[in-house]
Amino acid sequence: MNRNTSLGGLLRRPEAGACLGLVAVLVFFGIFGGLTFLQPAGMASWMNVAANLGVIAIPVGLLMIAGELDISVGAMVPFGAMTVAVISGHFGLSIWLGIAVTLAFGVMVGLLNGYLVIRTAVPSLIVTLGSLFAVQGVVLGLTVMITKSTSVALKVQGPAKAIFGDFVFSGQMQVMVLWWLLIAAAYVYFVHFSRFGNWIFAMGGDKVSARNAGIPTERMTILLFVFSSTSAAFVGMCQAILYNSAQVAGGQSFIFNAIISVVVGGVLLTGGFGSIIGIFFGTITFAIVNQGIYYTNFDRNWSSLIIGVLLLCAVLMNNTFRKMALSYAPKKGAK
Amino acid sequence: MKLMTTLIKATAAMALMATAASAANIAVIGGSNDDAFWNKIKKGLDDATPGVVANGGSVNYLRLQNYDNFAPDVVQLIRTAISQKVDGLVIPDWVPEAEDPAIKDALAAGITVILMNAGGADKAHELGAINYVGNEEYPAGVAGGEYFAKHGQKHVLCVNTLPGAANTEARCKGVLDAMTKAGFNSEELPLPTTSFGDPTAVAEAIKATLIKDGTIDGVITISAGDADAAATGIQQGDKVKTVALASFDMNEAGLARIKDGTQSFSIDQQPYLQGYLSVALLASAIDFGTSLPTFPVLTGPGIVDSANIDATLAGVKKGAR
Repeated sequence: MNRNTSLGGLLRRPEAGACLGLVAVLVFFGIFGGLTFLQPAGMASWMNVAANLGVIAIPVGLLMIAGELDISVGAMVPFGAMTVAVISGHFGLSIWLGIAVTLAFGVMVGLLNGYLVIRTAVPSLIVTLGSLFAVQGVVLGLTVMITKSTSVALKVQGPAKAIFGDFVFSGQMQVMVLWWLLIAAAYVYFVHFSRFGNWIFAMGGDKVSARNAGIPTERMTILLFVFSSTSAAFVGMCQAILYNSAQVAGGQSFIFNAIISVVVGGVLLTGGFGSIIGIFFGTITFAIVNQGIYYTNFDRNWSSLIIGVLLLCAVLMNNTFRKMALSYAPKKGAK
Repeated sequence: MKLMTTLIKATAAMALMATAASAANIAVIGGSNDDAFWNKIKKGLDDATPGVVANGGSVNYLRLQNYDNFAPDVVQLIRTAISQKVDGLVIPDWVPEAEDPAIKDALAAGITVILMNAGGADKAHELGAINYVGNEEYPAGVAGGEYFAKHGQKHVLCVNTLPGAANTEARCKGVLDAMTKAGFNSEELPLPTTSFGDPTAVAEAIKATLIKDGTIDGVITISAGDADAAATGIQQGDKVKTVALASFDMNEAGLARIKDGTQSFSIDQQPYLQGYLSVALLASAIDFGTSLPTFPVLTGPGIVDSANIDATLAGVKKGAR
C-alpha cells in the first residue's frame, strides 16, 4: 500500500474530516465549557458515553461500509442487559454463565440476521427492523413470564464486576473505555491491515463484482452482522453489571446515535468509503457534543438545537474533505 | 290479589334486572406490555377479575401494541369495546381531543365508563364517567418536594429525560413549587432525546451538573430506571454523602438502594391499585348498583422510604409494586 504522508496526503485520508470535526467541537466546548470540561472528570464524562456507543458504532459502521445496515442493535442492548440480569440476578446463577449465554445469544441473533439478509432479497434495513421488533418482543415476553416484572436487579461482585462493569483510573473512567480502545485497535488491524478490510470496501462498492472477484461476500456479511449484534449485547450486559439493574425498554437511542457517529466519522451512507479511525473520532465528537452542554452555561432547553447544529457542521466539514479526497488527482508529471 | 300482582311484577322486574345486569362484561384499555408500569396495573386487574367472574361477568384487557400511532389506536380500541357490546369500560383518557367523542359514543351505547390512570376528576364529571381512579402528577411532585424540604435538602435538581411531556413536566413543577414554597432552591434539568435510554449519558449529565454546582443536595428523576443512572452519577461525582436521591416510580434496584440507605425515597402512584380498584368499582356498580362517594379515587402519591421498605419489597416479589 502506498501511503502519502505529506500534509495534503493526510488531509485526504478518510478520517481527516472526522478528526477536524472533533477538534472543532473540542475548541467550541473548551471556550464555552471552561477547563472542567477538559479535566479528568470532565473527560471521563464524554469518554464513557463514547465508549458505550463506540463499541456498537464500529461494527455498525463496518456494515454500512459494506452496504448493509443493522438497526436491531437497539433491541440487542436491552436483550444483553436482561439476559445477564435474569440468569445471574433473578436466578442467582454464576455471573460467568450469564455472560456466556448473553454473548451466545448475541452471536445467534447476528447469524440469523446475516442469514436472512443473504438468503432473501430483502434489504438489511427491513430484515433488522423485523429482528428489532422480534427481539424486543422476546425480551419483554420472557422477562415478564419469568420475573413478573420489566425491571430486574443484578448485583455482581469480584472479577466479573472489575472486568465488565466498574470504574478505573481514580474511579472516573468506565472499564468500557478500555474495552473500546482494545476493540477499536483490533478492528483497525482487521480492516486496514488484513485482506478482510479490502473485501468489506469492495462489497460496499459493488457486491456483484466483489463476489465475481472471489470474495466470500456471504460469509463476510454474516460475520459483520454477528459482530454488530454481539457487540450490542456486550454493551447491554456491561451496563447491567455497572448499574446493577436491567430494563426491558431503552437502548433505542443507540440505533440513531450509532448511525450519526458513523456518518460524522466520514462513512458514506451509500457504502464503500470510510475508516475505523474516522468512526472512532466521529463517536467521540458525538459524545462531546452531547455531554459538553452540561459544562456550559447555555439554558438546557436549547440542548437539542445545539447538538443538531454542531453535528450538522461536523458532517459538512467532513463532506468538504471527502470531496477533496475523492476528486484529488496528482498533477501530471508529478511523482 | 293486588298484593300478588305487585309481588309478581316486582319479581319479574328483579329477574329482568338480574339477567340484564348480572354479567358485568368489562373491557379494560391499557398501555403496551413492555411498559413496566402497565404490567403492575394488569396484575391489579388480573387480581380483581376472579371477583367479577364469580358473579358471572368477565374482564377483557385490550392493550396497545405500541405507542407509535397512539391516539388513533386508542380510539380504535374504544370502538372495538363498543362493538363487543360490553357493559363496562375502564379507559385512560390520555388524549382527550381524540378519545372523548369515542367515550361519549360508548356512554350513549349504554356502557358504564370509569376513567383510570389518566384524565382526572374534572374530565370524569364532564364526560359522565362514574369515577376517576388514578394519580395526579402535580400533587405527586409536591409530595416529593415537601419530603425533600422536610428532610433538610435546600437545592434540588429534577432530572427530566422526557422534557415537554405534560406528565413529567407536572412532576418536576410540583417538586419545584413545593421547594420554592418552603423557601428553598430547585431547578429542572431537561435532557435531550439522544440521551433517552442510555444510562451512561444520563449518569454523566447528572455528574457534570453536580460538579458544576456544588450547592445541589437533592436529585429526583422522573423514572425509576433513570434513578439507577443517577445513583452512579452521584457516586462518580463523589456526592453520595451530600446529595439525597429520589425517584418518581420505583424498581427493584431503587428499592435495594432505599434498603441500604443510598436512596432517600421513591414516589409511587401505586399502579396495582389503579387496575384493581377500577375493575372492582366498575363491576360492583354494574352488578349491584353501588356508587362510591369518594371522587376521584387517588391511588398516589405513596412515599416509599426506609419506614415501609420491607412490606413494599414483599409486594415487588409478586409483581404488584
